[in-house]
Amino acid sequence: MWDQKFEDLLRGFLPFLGADEPLAQDTALRDLGLDSLGIVELLAALEHTYQVRFQDDALSQATFETPGVLWKVLSGLVEDQAA
Amino acid sequence: MPTASRTGTAMIFPGMGPTPFADVGKFMVINPFARKLVATADRVLGYSLIDRYRRTEGDYSEYAQVAFMVNSLALAQWAQHTLGVEAELCTGPSFGEKPAAAFCGALDFPDAVRATAGFARLLTDYFSTEFTDLVTHSFVRVPEDKLREVLGELDERGETYEISCYIDDDFFMLTLREHNLAWLSPLLRSMGGMSLYTMRPPMHCTAFGGLRDRAEQEVFGPLEFADPVVPVIADQDGSLITTGEGVRTMLLNSCVRPMRWPAVVDALCEAGVGTVCVAGQDSLFGRVRRTTDHFEVVPVTPRLALQPRPQPART
Repeated sequence: MWDQKFEDLLRGFLPFLGADEPLAQDTALRDLGLDSLGIVELLAALEHTYQVRFQDDALSQATFETPGVLWKVLSGLVEDQAA
Repeated sequence: MPTASRTGTAMIFPGMGPTPFADVGKFMVINPFARKLVATADRVLGYSLIDRYRRTEGDYSEYAQVAFMVNSLALAQWAQHTLGVEAELCTGPSFGEKPAAAFCGALDFPDAVRATAGFARLLTDYFSTEFTDLVTHSFVRVPEDKLREVLGELDERGETYEISCYIDDDFFMLTLREHNLAWLSPLLRSMGGMSLYTMRPPMHCTAFGGLRDRAEQEVFGPLEFADPVVPVIADQDGSLITTGEGVRTMLLNSCVRPMRWPAVVDALCEAGVGTVCVAGQDSLFGRVRRTTDHFEVVPVTPRLALQPRPQPART
């Protein structure tokens, strides 16, 4: 499961998710209001917060389909960075 | 950032993006400004705009385009009436030129409907036989020096291409042959860039002179353009337009000249604009850094207009 920092940050880009609604791993982020430019803004925020750089396959739209997929890609980048 | 010295307000009509009927249908049925415009559009078109829009697939059908124009204009009227927005200037990047032409007073609303529907039909007809392999691909996070590398590779491949839209320092729309996307997207990702959307038909290319000629003869030529009541900033170069003929020329040049949003932002700043009201289902122009770094942005969307507002107290 992801850390609280990730959840707080992600929720800020999901205008259709209520504050008291849970964020499930397999929820479609697009259905919660994450559009193309929202993805770009979220990407910049994640890179700044976690000090990583998304590149190559990590930059496909598929990365931003669900919270679970996004966290998996992000945590992989963080691990690579630490190695 | 917005500065105290720039106190002016401009109305911006956004470029068109995919807008499912479900996102705006309620607004078109309920909002009084939209209802009035839709009723007029129905009379001009001879069909029910809402019915056709609801039933027709495709992001850029004739009905979707007319509905986008109608909704943008209705939202601008709503913003004037409800929020008290008073715009001294207006502009409309790409598709937004059409509602801007109506808002500024150059085209009356029925003619704006005719122009939008007519140009949509012309686009379908023209690109059914011309440039059938061209698309316009948008991407972000690619600064200009990296973009030059991409264009250099296209040159080496002997491919023709044009930059159709300059959105921000690292945000562009490039028109090229569709088969190039298979290597372009991975190349952009390797640079840290991200592909967003691919448009078909393509737009804003010098090669589309034939489209401009037909648009002049069949769509914009027969219409009467009055001098604007609200001056317009041209989206191709940021120039100030104060004549009806200038508005017509802007609409025609849109076929063959790229859209340059940074030039529009510069022109608005120089004119003293500090606040922009973005009227329409905007997914781009009111949100890019080039805009938010320079202006106070008031996004006026169907969702906002549908929210209940406090009524003035009865006396």
